[in-house]
Amino acid sequence: MLWNQVAQTVELGWDFYLPVLLFVALIALAVPVWAAIGTAAITMLYMSGDLPLSLVGESLFSGIDAFALTAIPLFILTGDVLVRTGLSRKFLDVAEALTNFTKGGFGSATVLVCGMFAAISGSDAAGAAAVGRMTIARLVEAGYPRPYACALVAAGACTGILIPPSIAYIIIGLVLGISASTLFLAALIPGVAILLSILITNLIVNRIYGYEGGGNMTFAEWGSNLLRSLKSGWYAFIVPGIIFYGIFSGRLTPTEAGATAVVVTILMGFFLGTLKLADFPAMLVSSAKVNGVILPIIAFSAPLAEALAIMGVPQGFVTSVTSLTNEPWLLILLMIGILIAAGCVMETTPNIVILAPILAPLADNIGMNEIQFCIMMITALGVGFITPPLGLNLFVVSGITGESILKIAARAVPFVLCMFFVVLLIAYIPAISTTLLPDILK
Amino acid sequence: MGFLKRIDRNAERWLLLTFYTMLVITMAIEVLRREVFSYSSIWGEEIVRYSFIYLAWIGAAAAVKERAHIRIDVAMHYLSPRPKAVLYIFGDLVMFFVACIALYWSYETVHISAKFGSVTDGLRISKVWFLMAVPLGFALIVWRLLQSFVRDFRSLRDGTPVYQGDTLFD
Repeated sequence: MLWNQVAQTVELGWDFYLPVLLFVALIALAVPVWAAIGTAAITMLYMSGDLPLSLVGESLFSGIDAFALTAIPLFILTGDVLVRTGLSRKFLDVAEALTNFTKGGFGSATVLVCGMFAAISGSDAAGAAAVGRMTIARLVEAGYPRPYACALVAAGACTGILIPPSIAYIIIGLVLGISASTLFLAALIPGVAILLSILITNLIVNRIYGYEGGGNMTFAEWGSNLLRSLKSGWYAFIVPGIIFYGIFSGRLTPTEAGATAVVVTILMGFFLGTLKLADFPAMLVSSAKVNGVILPIIAFSAPLAEALAIMGVPQGFVTSVTSLTNEPWLLILLMIGILIAAGCVMETTPNIVILAPILAPLADNIGMNEIQFCIMMITALGVGFITPPLGLNLFVVSGITGESILKIAARAVPFVLCMFFVVLLIAYIPAISTTLLPDILK
Repeated sequence: MGFLKRIDRNAERWLLLTFYTMLVITMAIEVLRREVFSYSSIWGEEIVRYSFIYLAWIGAAAAVKERAHIRIDVAMHYLSPRPKAVLYIFGDLVMFFVACIALYWSYETVHISAKFGSVTDGLRISKVWFLMAVPLGFALIVWRLLQSFVRDFRSLRDGTPVYQGDTLFD
């Protein structure tokens, strides 16, 4: 940050407040998010008069004209192909064989399969739907109450955007100018930490209430089970293998890794006979629709972010917050509070594009590593997937089971708490996010 | 079925299939060429990027057609058909307003590019072909919104349940 900007105070007038109020009102009236953001951007540009309205027309093209973003449709598609080819079932078999030596084995397997799915697909809701369809009925059979089973899947699927590859990290990388591969590498430990925390929470809850029994088997039985499931499903692990090896060795960009994974999964589907050419139109169109829902939000946020920047909102925010307190730990807590609140009422994509440029200067101000900031931000927003009123995973799981959203949300409380705890760890211990990074980025 | 009717029903579908396939295949071939033949093109990345932009805006139109765009609609579940229809129509009106402005200014961008004859870095062909993605997408969005107005006013008048769209993940 430049020295002369630190003391700058920003007087915000109606050209700021009116668009913001308009935005809130439109969102409350169930206007689609991209249109609400678009309206806010257009009124802000029009009222402030600092930038021409033609900026809207340009940024709808240039705002999404980035090679890094092209990975998004590819990682959405991989998730879709994976489900249709039945390879996701192989993951479940292996996860089950891995965990059935202990009490609550199938619950643990459900969480693990969420993590495996997350290591291939870049989004969240697709994983929740796919895993939910495979496991919820069987979780209930194993003894879990139905709303709790739904909550478990919803929580496990939060790792979709927390374990690389992840669309959220691609977007925040674009907004703050950090390479997606670097963020993926940094997100590995935090993502797995979230996964483990959910797994452990489930084991504890299961110990307390005694939902699922099982787990009386010898080591030899466990070993032969695991071997059998690996023998019949080992090839499914080629896909995450390609993605991880490709990206982390630096041979492939995320986009290239995504394309390779799509093609390999499709070929496997043909080879196994589970995928037919006739499946393609429906598969591609539904993935394209998901893409078409995310991208307009990013595109319309671009002119909004520019308008906010030229009005000095990010600097003004830093000045006014740091005038209240200078304690780094308090400011970090404040940021987490803002992020979790935002995650509750809004979808991840607009949260990233609007809040990242505003909060990043504040993190910079207290000397937080920008990569650690990204990890903290995405993980904190990830909690919002299982909190009402707008928890996307709750909606998805409720949609496929018919269980009420509030009932699921009530059972998700332990998972929200454990994720919050991991967010705090990530925020206050930089090493969690930076250990894997090359020295220059630490 | 008449030709126009088929276009109306499938326009987004056909376009999305084309651009998605182009994106995936171009990228996969580029990887194969570089890893196996140690040779890569300067235009591969460009094809991928521009297919992606077409995919994004036409996908947005497809999502308008099927009412799939993300909105905070918790309250909507508790409304009776008529107020629900009114809210949907209001949402469509706001989208219509934004889409018209976007259509005008994105067309303006195309127009200026055509006037000055800018070309892309890799393929050296007119940028107009790629900038067209945005106005094309918004023209489709405007068209789908007009259709949606007709449909929703009908359900508002008759008090029948309003079209709520397909769920995104099902």
